[in-house]
Amino acid sequence: MLTELETKMLGVMMMVIMLGMGASLTFRDFLIAFKKPKGVLVGIACQYGIMPFLAYLLAILLGLPPALAVGLILMGCMPGGTTSNIFTYFSKGVLALSIMMTSVSTLVAVAAVPALIAFYSQKAGVTGEFAIPAANVAQVLVVLLVPTLIGMFLRKVNPNIGATIELIGSMLGILVILFLVVSWVPRNYQLLLSTPWSVFFASISLGLVGILLGFGLARLLKQDSNRSRTIGLETGIQNGPLAVLIVSLTFQGEMQQQVLLIPVLYSLFIVLTSSAITVWFRKIATREALARDNAKVALASAAVAS
Amino acid sequence: MAANLPTYDAKPWEAAYGTAIEKQLPVPRYLNLAHLVHSACERYAKKIAFTAVVPNGMNGSLSYAKLGELSDAFAVYLRDGCKLQPGDRVAVQLPNGLAYPVVAFGVFKAGCVLVNTNPLYTPSEMAHQFKDSGAKVLVIVDMFADKLAEVVPRTDIKHVVLASVSEMFPAVPNLIVRGVQKVWSKVLPPIPALAIPVQRLGAVLQAGQVDGSAKKVRAWWQTVQPQDVVALQYTGGTTGVSKGAMLTHANMLANVDQVLAMGRSHMGEDECVLTALPLYHIFAFTANFLCFLDIGGRNILIPSPRPVQNLQRAVENYPITWITGVNTLFNGLMNEEWFTAFPPKHLKAAIAGGTALHHAVAERWQIITGTRIAEGFGLTECSPVVTFNPLSGTAKPDSIGIPVPGTEVRLVDDMGELVPVGAPGELIVRGPQTMQGYWNRPTDTAAVLKDGWLYTGDVAVMDAQGYFKIVDRKKDLVLVSGFNVYPNEIEDALTKMGAVLEAAVVGVPDAKSGEAVRAYVVKNPDFAGELTKEAVLAHCKTLLTDYKIPKSIVFRDELPKSPVGKILRKDLKSEVKAEFNKK
Repeated sequence: MLTELETKMLGVMMMVIMLGMGASLTFRDFLIAFKKPKGVLVGIACQYGIMPFLAYLLAILLGLPPALAVGLILMGCMPGGTTSNIFTYFSKGVLALSIMMTSVSTLVAVAAVPALIAFYSQKAGVTGEFAIPAANVAQVLVVLLVPTLIGMFLRKVNPNIGATIELIGSMLGILVILFLVVSWVPRNYQLLLSTPWSVFFASISLGLVGILLGFGLARLLKQDSNRSRTIGLETGIQNGPLAVLIVSLTFQGEMQQQVLLIPVLYSLFIVLTSSAITVWFRKIATREALARDNAKVALASAAVAS
Repeated sequence: MAANLPTYDAKPWEAAYGTAIEKQLPVPRYLNLAHLVHSACERYAKKIAFTAVVPNGMNGSLSYAKLGELSDAFAVYLRDGCKLQPGDRVAVQLPNGLAYPVVAFGVFKAGCVLVNTNPLYTPSEMAHQFKDSGAKVLVIVDMFADKLAEVVPRTDIKHVVLASVSEMFPAVPNLIVRGVQKVWSKVLPPIPALAIPVQRLGAVLQAGQVDGSAKKVRAWWQTVQPQDVVALQYTGGTTGVSKGAMLTHANMLANVDQVLAMGRSHMGEDECVLTALPLYHIFAFTANFLCFLDIGGRNILIPSPRPVQNLQRAVENYPITWITGVNTLFNGLMNEEWFTAFPPKHLKAAIAGGTALHHAVAERWQIITGTRIAEGFGLTECSPVVTFNPLSGTAKPDSIGIPVPGTEVRLVDDMGELVPVGAPGELIVRGPQTMQGYWNRPTDTAAVLKDGWLYTGDVAVMDAQGYFKIVDRKKDLVLVSGFNVYPNEIEDALTKMGAVLEAAVVGVPDAKSGEAVRAYVVKNPDFAGELTKEAVLAHCKTLLTDYKIPKSIVFRDELPKSPVGKILRKDLKSEVKAEFNKK
């Protein structure tokens, strides 16, 4: 389990992460998204359609006990993580779309996540002491909107500060995971050794299959390949630290330990799987961009030479 | 045809100047470019002159006062540190960024000659340009420092200064940009060991900031005369050996006044111009860099404008009032959601140069931004602007507009005789902006400069109102039984056929007609049926008179193109040459 200090640190880090997310946004971005909402709508459909259902399905098929099932479902119901923006950036995806999906899904989360958790937990037969109170989740999400707004404001006032905290925020997303790995894994290696394969399988599949299904559904809904790759990454990459925070605020002791297992493992493996996928996506995107650029956009000197 | 003589020299275009454009150029306001810079830095001391913006929105700015100080320091480095003499050449190979104005203005103030160099040049192109110009100092962006080992020993360069893209950014953004360049994009190569000193710009500027330098620097530039050369601007790299056009202070100052005369009606005291085109190119150098400095404007410098998305933060964060660009930039911007949803709301004007501005692009731009793109025409040898569509009054589509004030333009045939109005002829220019010749190349100079007239090699027509339109490049003309055939016209006709993706037309030797038209045609992959020569010819017959119809048609999978997608007729011509030499 996490110590009280660790939980507090996690809370502070989440604040900074959300500050960074806010700094990646402008009010214009929202207006553009609302003017042409299709991309974001498709993304949100993937985010809250695919992931919770996938988590539920894995929980049922693998016959996970309630403590693990609730962790998996919670993980599936999380909004997009800010780390997806880094991966999208490095995979040369549509950064604006990724940022919009992360932010819109975080806004929608206030209402959607408590409802989805309740719905799928009940379906999976998780009740009583393992059920996560909807109010807890909503409260955490609302609190996190404050730094988001501050981030947006800072960005408007000074682009240098904005871009700096945007970067720090997204880096911290990965650092938090590293922090969890370093502090949590050594203390729990006994637990990890006795953890059945099905738990590892669920933790890895949720992200990996999520990315692939997100990509597929976006393609089906007529998004171009680059946007679909972005939606795929965004769908599969959940806000892991947020799930860890909610668990540590909701459960104590041995229970927390059990529920935390899948969110932590997911957070660890998603960095690895999405790094690999990013390298692959980047290759495809570079090839496509070159072909497109040569046809469309040219700014080198020869174009200006009369 | 002496009867036609007054036609061009009567300047029929002056009527189109209206009240917005002065017919006479003002008397020169400055002694030289250093004087222009010095005076601007004093007048607008507190205003921001340059802001460089990288794709994530991080930025750095230079005030006019700071710019004056730092460019003084660079001049001190050149004259005292490198012991350069007035007239010595300094090669500058930088992308758009804050280092560029400091270095370029320092060169002016030292009385030296600027050799603008494309940062993307290959080592052999660099070596040619540095050797040809005899540059003694090179200022290069550190991203390409790895080329130095190969280039420097083949040149007369004695000192190298390295500058970064985020030069003069605030500390934290600078650290982040350099960190990303080094660790993630891996674009910062190790600096090779050279036999000559290699210093960083920051260190050089620090050393140059000594007490009393302002007075010393002023004394240097006050002896520089208007007729002294200020820049060797290399041109012709894609068609032959690159040659340095000698542009004087007077040339550049005149062109600044000419551009300002055309743009004044749309310029106030606080203009903010988006500079996505490279400053090493003469278009942005004059239009953005010098003109907006003179009026106290702010240049928003974009180090890397590709992909166009890189411009988003700059367009969002600054109140852009002017944009200069080429067809592809305008087109690219209009393909971006963020741009079309929120076009810059303070925009007053956009000007296009370089290649032809497409009609559809210009129309869409007007609808989206509510401002016009005024197309102009220029060439390196003319500092560069020759003609311009007036911003107020009549702009004609597909036209390069009317000559700028103080410029004489004529259209002539091969014998140098004037052609009648409406007939195509080679465009020749005489004005205060025409160059002094090509550096160390008297033969090349004599071929283009005759009696003060610069022969552009472009064939144009003029209408009764004095508006010009470019027809084609003269050297691409095909001469069929004494008739001039313009490849552009035939290519246009061919691409009107749905089954044709693109086409290029060149002349081939012909026993009967001297030359014959040959068309290289690429089939449109979207076209289902088979494309036959007969079908192409039948199509041409509906649009073209007999002598213009291609005698032979060659189908190709693709056409040779420059890195920016211009079809290279010269490559096809050399193929033809090889083919007929064999016969």
